[in-house]
Formats: sequence, C-alpha cells, structure tokens
Amino acid sequence: MEFLSYDFVQRGLIAGILISVSTAITGVFLILRRYAFLGAGLSHAAFGGIALSFLLGTDVYVTTIIFTVLVANLVQFLTQTKKVPGDTAIAVIFSSGMALAVTILGIVRGFGENLFSYLFGNILMVTKEELFYSFGVFLITISFVVVFYKKLLLTTFSEEVAKVKGVNISLLNYSFVTLTALVVVASIKAVGVILASSLVVIPAMSGIILANSFLGSLVISSVVSILSVVLGIYVSFNYDIPPSGSVVGIAILLFLASFLLRKLPLK
Amino acid sequence: MRVIEVKNLTFSYDGKHNVLEDVSFSVDRGDFLGIVGPNGAGKSTLLKLILGFLKPKSGEIYLFGKRLEEFKDWKKVGYVPQRLSVEHAFPGTVKELLNSACEDKKEMDYLIEFLRLKSIVNKQFTKLSGGQQQRVLLALALSYNPQLILLDEPTVGLDVHAINHFMSILLDLNINHKKSIVMISHDIGTLLKHASKILCLNKRVCYFGKPEGAVEYIEEVFGLRGFLHGVS
Repeated sequence: MEFLSYDFVQRGLIAGILISVSTAITGVFLILRRYAFLGAGLSHAAFGGIALSFLLGTDVYVTTIIFTVLVANLVQFLTQTKKVPGDTAIAVIFSSGMALAVTILGIVRGFGENLFSYLFGNILMVTKEELFYSFGVFLITISFVVVFYKKLLLTTFSEEVAKVKGVNISLLNYSFVTLTALVVVASIKAVGVILASSLVVIPAMSGIILANSFLGSLVISSVVSILSVVLGIYVSFNYDIPPSGSVVGIAILLFLASFLLRKLPLK
Repeated sequence: MRVIEVKNLTFSYDGKHNVLEDVSFSVDRGDFLGIVGPNGAGKSTLLKLILGFLKPKSGEIYLFGKRLEEFKDWKKVGYVPQRLSVEHAFPGTVKELLNSACEDKKEMDYLIEFLRLKSIVNKQFTKLSGGQQQRVLLALALSYNPQLILLDEPTVGLDVHAINHFMSILLDLNINHKKSIVMISHDIGTLLKHASKILCLNKRVCYFGKPEGAVEYIEEVFGLRGFLHGVS
C-alpha cells in the first residue's frame, strides 16, 4: 500500500473514483436506451474541442466543455427530428471532431505532442482544477439521477408510455445528453479520448448483466467502475503500465467475469 | 361527456400518400370502442395521432373537450402500446416500474392487488410471460386513475386463457369503473362481443356505430363474406 502515500496517486484515485461513478451511472442509461455509442462519439468530438482551444489559446477545459455540450445537443436535435437515425448522427460527430483536430494540427504545427497527450489521458497526472471538475460532474450526475430517477427509469423503459404519463421527454433527453457530455469530458482525463467510451460502457454493462433490478444495476456498475479505476491505478503504479490501458484492461476483465458469473446458474 | 372527438382527420407520413383520410368519430364517457381494420388501415397511426405522437395533415382532435394542442391533463389518459421495444437487457422489476409510474405507494398497492401482480412484483419485466407483461403495461396505464384507456392490440401473442383474463379486467374497468376504452384488435369476434361501438377503418371510416350493424362492413373490408355470421 506504499503507492497510497504519494500525493499524485491520492489525487488520481479520488478523481478516478468520482469519474468512474459518473460514467457508470450515465452508461447504464445510455446502454438501455441503445445509445451506448454516444460516449465514443462525444469523446472523439471533444478532441476537436481540445484542438480548437489550442488554436484559439483559450482554456482547454472551458472550450472543450462548451464544444462537447453543443455537439451533444446537436446529436439530440438531429435524432429528435426523426430525419437522421441516432447512430448516424453519432457517426457524423465522431468523424467531424477527429477531422477538426487533424485539420488544426495540420494548419498550426508545434502543439502536436500536447494535443496527443489527450488521446490517451493520464489519471495520475490530474491537476487540482481537474479534481474539482470531477467532483462537480459527480455532484451533478448524482443530483440529476436522484431528482429525475422515476422519469429517467420510465423513459428508459418506454418513451411513449412516459410521454403519456406527462414526462417532458424532449427536455429530459436534452438534459441527459448535456450530462453525458460533461461526464465524457471528465473521463477523457482518466483514460483519454480513445478509451473514454470504455469507462462509460464496460462497467455499466457488467452492472446490467449482474443486477436483478434497475437500482441494482446502477449500484453494481458503480462498484465495478470504482474497482476498475482503483485496481487499474495499482497495476499501473506497480508495473509501470500506462494507467488508461490498465484501467480499461481491468474493466474488460471484470466484464468477462460478470458475463461468466451470469452464465452460471446463480441468478 | 365527450371524451374523444375526431373531426375530418387526414394524415400522411410522406406528405403525398394519405394513411388516413377524412376520419371522424367520437367516444363518450363509458364507451368501449373497438377499432378494426386490415393491416395498413391506419389503426395504430390513428391512436398515435390521438396521443399527440404524430401531427395531423388536417382535421381536429379534441380530448375531454379541449383541442389536442391545448390538452395538458395527460393523467386522464392511459396507454398500452402495441409492441414494446424494451431493451432485452433492461433489468427493471415490476415494482420499480410501478413505482416510477404511480402517484404514491397506496396507488401502487391498489394496482398490484387489482391486477393480481403480487406474485411477479419482484421479477424483472423482461423475464415475464407475454400475458404478465401486458398486465404490467395495463397497470402502468392505470396509474393516476385515468378516465380514458387506449390499447393498441394488447392481446397479440397471448394464449386464450391470457386473452380471457385480460378482457375480463378491461370489462371490469369499463362496466364497474366507468372507464372509457379504445382498443385496436385483430380479434374481431372478441370486439364484436364486448365493445359498445365499433370503428371499422380502412384509411377512411367504413363503419362507425353499434356492433350489431358492423358485421356486414367488416366482412367486406376483410373479404370474409358470411364468415362472421352470428358472431355479434
């Protein structure tokens, strides 16, 4: 337990735990609404936002948050018109974000190395500001889910049934994609642009597989996600492996274990 | 009291080909309206228009005397959808679903008792049989004690026992609790037997009135001349 005595490890663990709970909870709703790919789409779109902040010389976090939230709402708008299928809208913003980043890299040379550091992230290099942001996102996620739990559950079950029960589906969906954008930006620091969606999808799926109830899936997903981050950081520290790789690797192992456990006649 | 009034309703998905044309009918308090018609006749579309999921090309819909655009009191309406495309991994239990839809615990307990859901209340929705799922969907529709219940082919895929049980609940709601019911079904015999009004639809209204006069029109629309003789 020597690794716990280091400041940067403590910061990484706290930020990682806060981020992992936020990603797991949003992930459960995204998967059950068949929107699992939104995490990947937004994280790649966010890369465009990061590049834009480098180009404009603005704050990386503020620019990326604004950019990703706008993109998330654009996806929701396109999907809601029923003219563009949801997965197609996500595919468009996925490639647009990467295209924007690549174009900016081509136009303005010199900050390629800095920009590429966001591709893989590093939870062990989290700053105080990033720790505060993770805490803010955690609080927003928990508050949002607690306040709108019944409406979110019913809408996830059936939008038509929820609408007839008086739920403002449109407002709820726009709010939820905005929350997802905030969570995805936070998870980029933990595991980077490329692997951000893994933290949104994999622990959530483990929770869904193992749980016997909706609430149970949220709790188990969060526990699996926390375990992935804590064990991932431990493995990274002790075996000198990039933390993003070890965190996602542990998440995948836990997912496989959940799947096998589900296959056993225990449930 | 008039619960639904539809006047000269026309609808098209693509703006060119009308799915519904000049449809007019009404439902009064305590009515049991059975909607019949062949596949593609516009039955489910009509229900979606009444629920405001779709916008009409022309015509008007009134719910409880208010124009649909101005109608806000959705708690008066319950809806049982045709086929629920619930993600098969959805882990929610019956109790969690009822809790999310009901006003309070008292109402939830009443619906569990009324629809005999006690034995399945802690089971996951996706693990239930078709008949059990339909009863849960009806329970969700009945939360907030609606005056009007709309059902889109609720008995599809159920066995005879489950259909009879489901219909007995609907009749109880209609006769003893004075709920207005609008139900789409391909089970023409059941509707002719239990409904107080029949709407035979095939893009246009072919027949609207008491079940006794509906047989001839239904036979014509479905090409079943003589087949339904004596059913009603």
